[in-house]
Amino acid sequence: MYKLKGNPVAAGVAIGKAKIIGKPELNITRRKILSHEIGSELDKFNSDLKFIINELDKLIEDYNYSKENRDILESHKMILEDPQFHTRVTELISEELLSLEHAISKYFTEVSDIFDNMDNPYLTHRASDLEDVAYRLLSHVMNVRKDLLNDVDDKSILIMENITPSFVTKVFEKNIRGLCTEKGSKNSHSSIIARSMNLPMLVNTIGLLTKVKDDDSVIIDGNDGLVIVSPTKAELQKYQQIFVQEQNNRNELLKLIDLEAVTKGGKKIELMSNIEIPQEIDQVLKFKSSGIGLFRTEFLFIDREDLPTEDEQYTIYKEISEKSAPHSVIIRTIDVGGDKLSSILNITHEENPNLGCRGIRISLQNVPIFKQQIKAILRANSLRNIKIMFPMISGVNELRKIKDIMDICKSDLKKNGIEFYSDIQIGVMIEIPSAVITSDALAEECDFLSIGTNDLIQYTLAVDRDNSTISDYYQSTHPSIFRLIKYTVENAHKKGKKVAICGEMASDKELVKYLLALEIDELSVSPGRLLLIKKEILNTDLAEAKIKLEKILVSKTAEEVNKIIRT
Amino acid sequence: MNPNNELEYEDMIRKTIKIINKLGMHARPATMIVKAATKYRSEFKIVKSDMEINGKSIMGVMTLAAEYGSELELIADGVDEEHLIKEISEMFANKFGEE
Repeated sequence: MYKLKGNPVAAGVAIGKAKIIGKPELNITRRKILSHEIGSELDKFNSDLKFIINELDKLIEDYNYSKENRDILESHKMILEDPQFHTRVTELISEELLSLEHAISKYFTEVSDIFDNMDNPYLTHRASDLEDVAYRLLSHVMNVRKDLLNDVDDKSILIMENITPSFVTKVFEKNIRGLCTEKGSKNSHSSIIARSMNLPMLVNTIGLLTKVKDDDSVIIDGNDGLVIVSPTKAELQKYQQIFVQEQNNRNELLKLIDLEAVTKGGKKIELMSNIEIPQEIDQVLKFKSSGIGLFRTEFLFIDREDLPTEDEQYTIYKEISEKSAPHSVIIRTIDVGGDKLSSILNITHEENPNLGCRGIRISLQNVPIFKQQIKAILRANSLRNIKIMFPMISGVNELRKIKDIMDICKSDLKKNGIEFYSDIQIGVMIEIPSAVITSDALAEECDFLSIGTNDLIQYTLAVDRDNSTISDYYQSTHPSIFRLIKYTVENAHKKGKKVAICGEMASDKELVKYLLALEIDELSVSPGRLLLIKKEILNTDLAEAKIKLEKILVSKTAEEVNKIIRT
Repeated sequence: MNPNNELEYEDMIRKTIKIINKLGMHARPATMIVKAATKYRSEFKIVKSDMEINGKSIMGVMTLAAEYGSELELIADGVDEEHLIKEISEMFANKFGEE
């Protein structure tokens, strides 16, 4: 038995047999052909090339949402459609009598040599693209491809170098137990999808491919981030128990899909979903969430060299709106730190980025980008189920600036005769203490408030969430947080406006009932947590929770609060 | 088209342009140029000092490795040569949307 460490993407245990999904190796033989074979070799070249270009077209469609991946695939297609490629391979076959596979591989070696000898750093990364294209074409020409999921069954745990988003979906449909990759990151699109599907998965598991063999018995522990290969009997037994328990819990939760989220006393709570990328909508629909309480739009802007166009955004917003209808979708405008956008914006280095140019501040400093996003949202709202929300608001000033910009967007659209829908609800995120304190004014000037608890805790307690040396100062149950939420809700309700919570606190099953006791109107959680939180709502006795809440509100420390919560 | 596949010097368009985007001719601009050029029927070549490449070939355009400040000559020949040259030179002038 040995254990490897990886980064857990989704919690949960999976036990099964390892199935290594890799690329078959290519052994190119330097074969010469006879002159009467030239014709058939050229025919094969043309038909194989057509097949691969077709395949790329389908993949490009598949990557509808990821401009970055789509761009890569389009450049691959362009390499294969290059007239120079066609001419050179034809020449190598008909004049030098090389076999098709030899000719193709020779062409790619020639081109890579040219790139290797150039000292332009922006071109060197093309080498891996060339390798990818060459592999795609050659593996088809040489007929070494097989259906990667052919001998995979519901006992398999997939071991791979890396995984694409579409492959995660495919894997899920095959009822695979779990998967583990040598590379990859927790925040990739593939990981986000796996998480919303609750599929046990580890990424960045160093040494995986050299250590694990086909059919090895493996355990994926997505709770602690471990892969256990050839476990001992005792270890296996321990995990089997956990697995059965988790399985039972999961089945129990699935029974709740069709139930309304109401407390024991019958108070209905809007339970919505947070999504990071559009593909998660499938899980949202499956779990029958009552809409999307937070659609993050950062995925459109990060990890790329250019900006998304207004039309690109429009298409995505419209699709999400259509799929979610009749439920609503709250689209939040871009909310990142400037560092994430440094490749597209001129961002100067900041000494203190958490208190720097981020969230709405980026939008207000880059008005053309902000306007594009607003216009795309206004245009996409033909079903009238979209609401728009702004992050990192410190007070009414920003809200007024935003409204002015929205008015300009509307008159621009009108002037250009573009169809749009001007009656849209606007809301602000409450995550800065000053916004809490002036939440009466904010509620008066907008339609709804949504509390982002992660940042609210960070800014209230002045503690950087990612700084591990001070992590014990990050206390989500600090009494101040409960008091701030209470204050916000009271202010909003006085103005007849609703308050939602879309931060991690809403996903914490121990805290849900106190949030409800605080009279929060809506909770928005990640799709993978939806049913778990619904179960908590169903079990909530509001009267009882309110009694405990009173004690929480007069507690002096987080420790005192924790004690109340746990008794 | 003449059998030697050479451009007819009388009725083609030539235009000299300078690379003004800081990153020079890297993968993305190269892709943009080829994508735009292949929409037209005219032949399209790019010349840099003594090197002449097919402007509809991604490998050709990338191997130019043209850096910031270098001069290129665009040569188009065919029915829609004017439109082609216009679109491509605008891309250079707009720095391929980089800044």
